[in-house]
Amino acid sequence: MKKFIAIFMTVLLLALTACSSSAGNEEKKSSDKDVVEIDFFHRWPNEPRKSFYDQKIKEFEDANPGVKINVNSVLNDSYKEKIRVLVSNDDLPDIFSSWSDSFAENLVSSDRIMELDSILAEDSEWAGKLIESQFAGFTFDEKKYGVPFTVDGKAFFYNKEVFKKNNLEVPKTYKEFIAVLKDLQDAGYETPLVEGLTNAWAISHYMGTIFQRVVDPAVTAKDYNVATGEFTDPGYIKGLEIFQELTDYMGDLSTAIDHEAARNMFASGEAPIVYMQFAEVKMVEDQGMTDFGFFDFPEIEGGKGDSKALTGAPEGWMLSKNAPKEAVDFLKFLTSKETAYDFTKTDGQLNAVQGAVDEGNTSPARLEAYELVTNASATTPWFDNAVNINIADIFMRGGQTLANEQTTPEEIMKEVQAEAKRLKK
Amino acid sequence: MQRRKFNIIPVLFLLPSIALLLVFVYIPLIQNFYNSFFDFSVFSQTKTFVGFENFKNLLADKAVSVGILNNVKYAIISVILQVGFALVLAYILEDKLFHRVAPFLRVVYFMPVMISISVVALLFGFVYNPQMGLLNSFLELIGLENLKEVWLGNPETAIYSVIAMSQWHSIGFVTLLFIVAIQKIPKELYEAADIDGAGKIRKFFSITVPQVREAIFVNTLITITGSMLVFNEPYILTNGGPGFSSTVLSVHMYQTGFVKDNMGYASTLAIIIFILTAVLALIQIKLSRTGKDD
Repeated sequence: MKKFIAIFMTVLLLALTACSSSAGNEEKKSSDKDVVEIDFFHRWPNEPRKSFYDQKIKEFEDANPGVKINVNSVLNDSYKEKIRVLVSNDDLPDIFSSWSDSFAENLVSSDRIMELDSILAEDSEWAGKLIESQFAGFTFDEKKYGVPFTVDGKAFFYNKEVFKKNNLEVPKTYKEFIAVLKDLQDAGYETPLVEGLTNAWAISHYMGTIFQRVVDPAVTAKDYNVATGEFTDPGYIKGLEIFQELTDYMGDLSTAIDHEAARNMFASGEAPIVYMQFAEVKMVEDQGMTDFGFFDFPEIEGGKGDSKALTGAPEGWMLSKNAPKEAVDFLKFLTSKETAYDFTKTDGQLNAVQGAVDEGNTSPARLEAYELVTNASATTPWFDNAVNINIADIFMRGGQTLANEQTTPEEIMKEVQAEAKRLKK
Repeated sequence: MQRRKFNIIPVLFLLPSIALLLVFVYIPLIQNFYNSFFDFSVFSQTKTFVGFENFKNLLADKAVSVGILNNVKYAIISVILQVGFALVLAYILEDKLFHRVAPFLRVVYFMPVMISISVVALLFGFVYNPQMGLLNSFLELIGLENLKEVWLGNPETAIYSVIAMSQWHSIGFVTLLFIVAIQKIPKELYEAADIDGAGKIRKFFSITVPQVREAIFVNTLITITGSMLVFNEPYILTNGGPGFSSTVLSVHMYQTGFVKDNMGYASTLAIIIFILTAVLALIQIKLSRTGKDD
């Protein structure tokens, strides 16, 4: 009996595997004939974006009967790892999402990314709608390799009610900012400014902005490039001192919490100021906090950089070099005004398509943020995307130890200079 | 004549395991040695030969010395608690006094082992939370406010907080191994000791410890190599921070390779970890002479 069952199971198993494999083959064959398949890879397996893109794929497939879109998605950090593997062989998807600056540059350096200049030039009606300033992070050697879609910026969010109660004005300069923080501390706020310093990237966002404000843009342009970086400008030390001064107002607990906890503290009214991305506005609003405003990082006295620039970088789409013509159409569809309008309405994040953000699909707070983004004189990329990761890591870890007063700005800069020298080789 | 004939059957049985070991253990190991002499990233597939440059960098790398020190702290504390204390715990649980409650307590101590380490680390993130964490609230409750601490944010306490979690997690496992070893000790030995008038502590040192010598050795080996290879706990709880204060070798290796994209140097770090664990294992095997009959 036992033997019989064993044989039976084996036969069953064999039959099953045979069935499934033959079924798979048939499907492939039929699709090879007249249907163009597009591999689409994005980084939002979470809601609401997953259903948003599933819906848009369906719309596109209905409008273009000869096209089939295979979609795949993994979350943030896994996405970074997976795309790295995919770009190193020929399995790169036809269309996929990408961050700007060094992340995009790494991908472009693989020589597997489609250059988009001619496509953009051909269809000026579509290309003209995209906000020009947002292309900067996808442009390498004066060639555009990506289409920006979502825009973002980093600003201080402040609790309007607390500011009113304590008769505080929005600070215009760094000195005023420190005065505001002092007043808030005197008013009983243990952490007038809060940040989750366990998230290294949060530190890098601070540093990127501070360095942009303090250091001469020509110097940062030279230093952020691996081939010419030296980091000998005294402005960096001043910048780190400013960061250290700010951490004095963050309280002990900032060293032990993450950014999400910091955001929650702001949303619950426990901390009046926090440095956040506009992408987070909806999350704060969803927690019931609506009476808040924004101000860009204040002007630093004696700083050599543009004091009206905004830190923030867009995310967008890239095409593989071997992508079919239909993938270009799909890209145009994804970045059309209609899609962008629906996107901001569903998700809340702002987009880089002109006319696709208005009162109808966003909140007054986000509209205010949108104006900050579109009116900024320039955008500064995220620091951890702007410099080599080895340099950024020293700054980020250095920032953590600065907050604990375990090291000095001079020591950090010495390490950075040594690393820059090593990387130059 | 029959005996001299080469028997292929045993070789065939061994072949699959040898092949698997080769593909998944030995070839990568050799490849890793090879990679450590190069400088390369995953993006560009070209490797530049740098000779012993990576090994020189090891000496200047602060994170390596901090990491090794943290690994050693991990090992020492783990051996004291997971081998020393767990043995005492096992002895107490096997005592007649606890005869009734022992099965229940065994489950209690073993429970943490069954929880995934990622879950445990997230849980302890809440325990150590400076604002609403259990630990600080508890200290406040019993009137020890002055001992309150930003456990994971302070470079002095971060690594110890990580180690403490690890002990909580794995002490039950080692205790269970010791319980099994103690149960195998012949009852006659204890009876004889009773007749001789030996107390419980005397019996522990004169009978239990020598009888479970083999188990002590195995458990020490497991804990020390485990401490050298530890990754999950510090990675999830602190990511090595603040600064490098709670980093360990494997976390540093991971970050060098997969975050900073410095594959050659990461291979060098992997070799250091391999050498450390191999040497420690050899020393222990020599010291305790297992495998040979007494």
